Amino acid sequence: MRRFWFVARGVAWRSIHNTLVSPAILVPSIAFPLFFLAAFAGGLSKIAQVPDFNYPPGYTAFQFVFVFLQSAAFGGVFTGFAVARDFDSGFARRLLLTAPQRSGIVAGYCGGALARWFVTGSVVTIAALLAGMHVPADGSELVGMLALGILANTVSALWACGVAMFLRTEQAGALIQMPVFVVIFLAPIYVPLSLLTGWIHSVASVNPATFVLEAARGLLANSPVDVLLAFALLGGGIAVMAFWARRGLASAERAG
Amino acid sequence: MPGPAIVVEQLVREFRKGPRAVDGINLEVSPGEIYGFLGPNGAGKSTTVLMLTTLLPPTSGRASVGGFDIVHEGAHVRASIGAALQEAALDAILTGREHLMLQATLQGIPKATRVRRADELLERVGLVEAANRRVGGYSGGMKRRLDLALALVHSPSILFLDEPTTGLDLQSRTALWDEVARLAHDEGMTVFLTTQYLEEADALADRVGIIDHGKIVAEDTPAKLKAEIGSPTVEVLPADLATGDAIAEALGRFGSPTRGGRGSLTVQLPDGEAQLAELVRVLDQAGLHVASLHLHQPSLDDVFLAKTGRKLEGAAEEDPDATPEETTKRSRRRRGR
Repeated sequence: MRRFWFVARGVAWRSIHNTLVSPAILVPSIAFPLFFLAAFAGGLSKIAQVPDFNYPPGYTAFQFVFVFLQSAAFGGVFTGFAVARDFDSGFARRLLLTAPQRSGIVAGYCGGALARWFVTGSVVTIAALLAGMHVPADGSELVGMLALGILANTVSALWACGVAMFLRTEQAGALIQMPVFVVIFLAPIYVPLSLLTGWIHSVASVNPATFVLEAARGLLANSPVDVLLAFALLGGGIAVMAFWARRGLASAERAG
Repeated sequence: MPGPAIVVEQLVREFRKGPRAVDGINLEVSPGEIYGFLGPNGAGKSTTVLMLTTLLPPTSGRASVGGFDIVHEGAHVRASIGAALQEAALDAILTGREHLMLQATLQGIPKATRVRRADELLERVGLVEAANRRVGGYSGGMKRRLDLALALVHSPSILFLDEPTTGLDLQSRTALWDEVARLAHDEGMTVFLTTQYLEEADALADRVGIIDHGKIVAEDTPAKLKAEIGSPTVEVLPADLATGDAIAEALGRFGSPTRGGRGSLTVQLPDGEAQLAELVRVLDQAGLHVASLHLHQPSLDDVFLAKTGRKLEGAAEEDPDATPEETTKRSRRRRGR
């Protein structure tokens, strides 16, 4: 077990180091959520005046929760890109060759994804607060919301690691990104679920991301809803995606 | 380390839709020995190293490295080996020192030791000045040296070097040879070295295994392999071309001399190089003067030729069975990557 942690720590350190010293890696992961926050919370703020829009903290807070979770999920996606890049450059082979406990490599990449998201999430939160976001939540609710973000980031990072390790090429990028993008954008991101109609309502009603988003919005609004269900869904997602990432690692090991 | 450092039994690797890259090889390497694995591109050298370093599972057969099975005890194998593979895959963003620190962390070396070990190795491979520069700006030789240092971070008992001097200039190559010899002879490290350079195997290896088309075709010390092929030859260049026939007659005592360029004559010494003194005496007694006299020992290339019917140089171009991986590596090298 010690070997596992040493490997995880080393891989996570490199991931964090490269993110912090390389603007080409850091800037996009911050720019995307900031753009979403500015575009949606600013440009669509009139949605708050739509009848049946019932979110007391306001539309900025409503959008902030989405951007907060979206940045968590995309933090994982960006890590998948890095894994794929490591396979293309041959550096992943060095890690496979050096790491006594190879599952620590996946854990390290996930640790790196989390650290990267802490930077992005902090920037997004500061931006939302500067934009006048109202936060009725108490401390434990904020911790709950943060925990949902951490779990979402981990699910996404495990998914991305799995795909990157199965395909072992930067061309895996589209496949890593697309499902995460689809799942997120088929949730009620612009308006509450009750205001959606037609097929999008049907899809959003069964989309696990909807439950996570609603739970996080409930926590921020100091009126929790389906929080346990959201945690259970993300916990289940981690179990499934950990299995998926392990299979991806095994595939990379077989391929050499 | 009790028993052999590396044991390989009937090891096979088949690639999907490809040939048998490694075809049932057997070998054993003793602790502290430098084992040279010699063969052309596509012969199966790198595939063997990938299997022994646990980067590629074998199709069949078994092997143990440092007493650990490569399939079932991979974590223990990786903890006891160091490896510098054909292409030094380094992270362009990290500095040389950061690479060493990362490698040491992955191997579980405590922080205080990590710093000391990194300093030691940077000094040893001559990268102290460049230690805090990103490796993206390193030359090929510097990357190779860093790669070697990375392989040594955790003081492994067994070192795998896959064509370590490919692409290096003569000075860097000689420095690397000296370091490898020092590691084996002073520190007792076992070295498994693949190469396609005859002189490298000859200069470094205690024993050489020659691999061709995935099979080991010969294995012994370089001296014994060469002795198997035949006795040395002497090339005599007459001081006066007019004395060529007289010299040929004198050399006739040892065998039938063959004539070469610029009037030179070459004869085989059936009883080995000990006959060289006798040959000199014969020429002297006959009053024949020579401009130069060269003793040629059989080379490993002669051994390769005798065992495979081909010269080692250029064998890769004739090789239709190179694995896709090795073909890619070859073309990358040609493109200068």
